[in-house]
Amino acid sequence: MPADGHPYLFLALFAGAAVVFCLSLLGLARLWAMLVSPAKPGPTKNAPYECSLASQGDAWVQFRSAYYLYAIIFLVFDVETVFLLPFAVAFTHLSVGAFVAMMVFLLLLVEGLVWAWRKGALAWH
Amino acid sequence: MNDLLVMGLEAAVLVAGLAVLLLDLWTPPAEKRNLGYAAAIAVGAILLASFAIVLPRPLAAFGGMFVLDEFALFFDRFFLLAALLVLVISVEFADRFETGVAEFYALILFALAGMMFAASANDFTLLFVSLELITVTFYVLTSFQRRQTQSLEAGVKYLILGALSSAFLVYGIALIYGTAGTMSFTRLAEAAPAVLDSRLLQTGLLLVLVGLGFKIAVVPFQIWAPDVYQGAPTPATAFLAVGSKAAGFVLLLRVLFTAVPALGPRWSRLLIVLSAVTILYGVLCAIPQRNLKRLMGYSSIANAGFLLLGVATLSRDGVSAVLYYLGGYLFTVLGAFAVICVALRHTEGEDIPALAGLHQRSPLLAATLAMAMVSLAGVPPLAGFFGKFLLLKSALMVAGDQPALYVLVAVAVVGVVISLYYYFGVIRAMYWPAEPVEQGHLPPIQLSRPLRWSLLLCIAGMLWLGVLPGMVVNLANLAAQTLLP
Amino acid sequence: MTTLQSYLILSALLFSIGLAGALTRRNAILVLIGIELMLNAANLNFIAFWRYGPHPEALTGVMFALFSIGVAAAEAAVGLALIIAIYRHYKTANLDKVTTLKG
Repeated sequence: MPADGHPYLFLALFAGAAVVFCLSLLGLARLWAMLVSPAKPGPTKNAPYECSLASQGDAWVQFRSAYYLYAIIFLVFDVETVFLLPFAVAFTHLSVGAFVAMMVFLLLLVEGLVWAWRKGALAWH
Repeated sequence: MNDLLVMGLEAAVLVAGLAVLLLDLWTPPAEKRNLGYAAAIAVGAILLASFAIVLPRPLAAFGGMFVLDEFALFFDRFFLLAALLVLVISVEFADRFETGVAEFYALILFALAGMMFAASANDFTLLFVSLELITVTFYVLTSFQRRQTQSLEAGVKYLILGALSSAFLVYGIALIYGTAGTMSFTRLAEAAPAVLDSRLLQTGLLLVLVGLGFKIAVVPFQIWAPDVYQGAPTPATAFLAVGSKAAGFVLLLRVLFTAVPALGPRWSRLLIVLSAVTILYGVLCAIPQRNLKRLMGYSSIANAGFLLLGVATLSRDGVSAVLYYLGGYLFTVLGAFAVICVALRHTEGEDIPALAGLHQRSPLLAATLAMAMVSLAGVPPLAGFFGKFLLLKSALMVAGDQPALYVLVAVAVVGVVISLYYYFGVIRAMYWPAEPVEQGHLPPIQLSRPLRWSLLLCIAGMLWLGVLPGMVVNLANLAAQTLLP
Repeated sequence: MTTLQSYLILSALLFSIGLAGALTRRNAILVLIGIELMLNAANLNFIAFWRYGPHPEALTGVMFALFSIGVAAAEAAVGLALIIAIYRHYKTANLDKVTTLKG
């Protein structure tokens, strides 16, 4: 594949660099942990703040599930617009068939929205 | 517009799926369950319509990305029939879902559309998108009983391993694209001889094999199968066992024989080893199983090995045998899962001994399951026997060129013998349980009319393919011919 | 080293980081993030091969990258929904805790 005609050399480099990079990162992290920070956990040390009041509750606050529902629906609709980009770029050269196909795609998105709406996924209970 | 006509069957399935989703919004809750029958009728109508298609020559659409040939048509019909039976099983199962019954049907239709697209894929883009349509849909189907630990666990295991395998798949496709400069199977076949020695291309194809091997559940990518089969809702398991596996095979066959035909001989050893290991793993791990669905999971791994045996022959007869075997597998496995779905709700637990006395409670259920086990074990005169016979015959025919195939055939025969033990264990548990059940102790099981017809259809299919194989053999030969002229 | 090669090495590194993350992490969300990294490494490959390949006028590579992004979003949406369901049930997203199916 590569233009200079050294496929084997390149592949070796490719695989070697990938493995070495990965292992060295993991190794460095382990080395760092061993040399610099021997594990001596204790209640005081594990506390987020060494002085002042003890923190209350978990830092991983639970959001309401309705929030995730919104987020997921947003994610899907947000990313599907990626297909609109080539459509917009090529708009002036499009055949009627391609235009219709894109409208069908948009219609599918609208159907998804209607479905989510009717199912109550957009209501904040 | 011509392009859309070529993919008319797929479009019809998608429209049916969307219609189910929309109809659900205005259907009273009590009626939602029956949407499954409506979906089944729609799938049946599309199946009938597919027999009206006459192909004097293969049709192509979207710049050759999508092809409709006899091979694709064979699998389209296969998937439609499988989905039809799965929908009937789903209706039986529907009252166990708290919500989203109609969505379950719609997702089955979407997965079906993905499988049909896979049957027609002639380009790595369509291969990827159709495979993902199937996989992502199955993530949801697997975890559909979202308040049950087992279902959720099956879903998350399938999700993690599935996503990992699709990452390998995409990376593999990228390497293939980079080496060959094209993603079309046809153009890759033209370009391949020049670049086949490139390690990058071979790495890419190997990564694609990983992605497909995951769908097929070939060792070493089979880890998910037993857990997912056990935890998923029974109709989803049934569709996974038949549809998803066949979709993996249809893509594997296309890639091996259309995209890189020159690669086959180089991979022959690899395929033979994979097939042998998969058969042995499947049958050996199935022996100690007590859970019926888990047993079917291991059985499906073993069957993936048998199917791979046909692929490893790299001959037209081998491909034809694979198609025939899949046909028999459809009736056998769906018959078994229909029984499992109904019987397990009337028994305590999912363990095999719980089936004791099933023939007193419902002779039809017991007979179907017994026949399915006999067919899976490969005992004449049922479909499974003739399928295994064709597979082994095709392997022996070309074994002169590839002596390793003799070893593989021997392994397969050993696998069949071992599998007799656990398949007949199921039959024994029904008819001759270790602890006899008192007469009249267990209430009879009522079967709905569509389910009874489906069970009879599965029995008829198993007998038909076993006793009168001629017609399906012809269809399989015709389909294999388009792939290997 | 050509520009293409440096892109490919970058993408191989990204893929390896993603794989290492997916295999070593126990939190389901972090595993998913690792897998997304692997997918993005493949996308980077597509764009690099397209841009520096012999036929940059054919847009196959870009097209595949778009499809891959779309599919990855669908996968992430389903995956997150599933992990939320798991979290509600088990009160943890740690994959080592989700083991009742065995045998």
